[in-house]
Amino acid sequence: MSTVLEVQNLTKRYGDLVAVNGVSFSVNRQEIFGILGPNGAGKTSTLEMIETLRPIDSGTVMLDGLDVTKHPQKVKRIIGVQLQASAFFDKLSLTELLLLFGEMYSRQVDPLALLNEVELKDKAKSYVTDLSGGQKQRFSIAAALVNDPVILFLDEPTTGLDPQARRHLWGVIKRIRSEGKTVVLTTHYMEEAEELCERVAIMDNGKIIANAPPQELVQQLIGKGFKKERVERLASLEDVFLDLTGHSLRADQ
Amino acid sequence: MRLILKMTAVSVKMFMRQKEAVLWSILLPLFMVFLFSFVSFDGLGTISLGIVNHSSDTTLVGFLQPIKTLKIFEGEEEQELTRLREGDRALVLIIPASFQSAGTDSLTLYLNAERPQETQAGRVIVQRAVDEMVFRRHSVPRPTLRTESINSRNLSYIDFLLPGILAMSIMNSGIFGVAFGFVILKKRGILRRLLVTPINPRDFIISQVISRLMVLMLQVVIMVVAGMMLFELHFAGSLLDMLIVGVLGGIVFLAIGFTLSGVSKSEDQVAPLANVITLPMMFLSGIFFSRSNLPGIAHTITDFFPLTYLADGLRTIAIEGATLGDIWQQVLGLAVWAVVTIALAVKAFRWE
Repeated sequence: MSTVLEVQNLTKRYGDLVAVNGVSFSVNRQEIFGILGPNGAGKTSTLEMIETLRPIDSGTVMLDGLDVTKHPQKVKRIIGVQLQASAFFDKLSLTELLLLFGEMYSRQVDPLALLNEVELKDKAKSYVTDLSGGQKQRFSIAAALVNDPVILFLDEPTTGLDPQARRHLWGVIKRIRSEGKTVVLTTHYMEEAEELCERVAIMDNGKIIANAPPQELVQQLIGKGFKKERVERLASLEDVFLDLTGHSLRADQ
Repeated sequence: MRLILKMTAVSVKMFMRQKEAVLWSILLPLFMVFLFSFVSFDGLGTISLGIVNHSSDTTLVGFLQPIKTLKIFEGEEEQELTRLREGDRALVLIIPASFQSAGTDSLTLYLNAERPQETQAGRVIVQRAVDEMVFRRHSVPRPTLRTESINSRNLSYIDFLLPGILAMSIMNSGIFGVAFGFVILKKRGILRRLLVTPINPRDFIISQVISRLMVLMLQVVIMVVAGMMLFELHFAGSLLDMLIVGVLGGIVFLAIGFTLSGVSKSEDQVAPLANVITLPMMFLSGIFFSRSNLPGIAHTITDFFPLTYLADGLRTIAIEGATLGDIWQQVLGLAVWAVVTIALAVKAFRWE
């Protein structure tokens, strides 16, 4: 397995606060890599430095063989980014927005194919303001795919979505990976990380405190003698909710 | 280059789809002209004269009444003098009980000291009516004064107003459009989203400026054409010159808009700043009324307002058919402002 992203000793300071403190990790090609952690752990700052949005105070980021500090323009061409608050211009249809983003990469894009990828083909003529939360997030993934990126960065893609929309988005992300892309995402949801990620890095106070496949981390914990106090239930409230309201996406999703 | 053109086209498209924006920048100015076309300013030049006639001789009153410049009120002495003190009358004429048109009894004329211009003119008019009365009685031979008014183009208030409103709407869409627009783009993270693409941020700004200037040119053309068709605007100049001066003014106000968007974090901060800049200009740059009545120092200060340059420039082209060379002072004034405001905008503008 080849490494596509190599982060070493990445550091970011805001005044006295060290938001990212010597973070190192690597991501393999065609992997879904999760960065977990509580709010303020430094996940977004880490991503933004890799994405060229924030100057790197110290450390290096090599992305598909390119040094992010030295070649930010080249890096921008091979990454796809979904920001936490991804907003788009009003009064442009999804098709027009994708064409415009394509222009920014000097690319002719096929908007319908991209929308099809995220299951929004029937919304091609809608404005972003007319989309539901889940649709907005899926559109913002489509917009991140216009340049056929090597790596896709998703910052909390499912925050604020209902269970169906979340599951739908998981499906989209898995399919994108199966088509050869590498995905790096941040999340607050552990079941999301377990469901999607080959490997996760857990961040706290600007440091990575664990970095392994989810199952391995769980085994390590069990190995330390950890036992959940309650017996595992056969179903959870979320299962009830999904059973009652339908597993699959409803028309308005 | 291709990207700039493409983004420009897209921005114009987005603008046209924003009904409020179209309404504000194109229909609202027309509507204001329409409203003001109903306003009659005939009442503004009249002089209010109270007449208290204690006599039974109405000859003098008869002479005064047909004079259009006077607005005459007849009443009791006490009442009329009160009105004078309260400022409702410029002059009050007291005709004594013993008055006869053939006699020599004195008349008394009270003047409102706070309205020197009106009272001066009113006094001459009253004196003139008294003289006329005497001349008529004695049939004094005298030369007559034949008057003829020459005003070939018959300019109306609309001719003054429309270029002013046009200048004002160029200012408002420049300052408010950009300042609010960019603060929102920043706040909602749209600018950040653009920053992760390989576009040169400068290209995005350029496309924004070009698209806004294109809308501005559309504003100019629509105002002039609609003015001529709907409001009998006497447009004597060149539309091209109007566009050039309009664009120059537009650049100044766009730059102010970019500066404001740089120094404010939210819409709440932009609004008061934009108002502080636009409101004084709106009222003092001779948009609705001529600046000739402004006191000396205010006149001198407002001479240098960018909106004054823009309004005067557009108006002189429209009314007098002036060329750019004729209004070089306004063009130079706007050019200097453009340099200053662009420098400010470059310094103040922030992407995040």
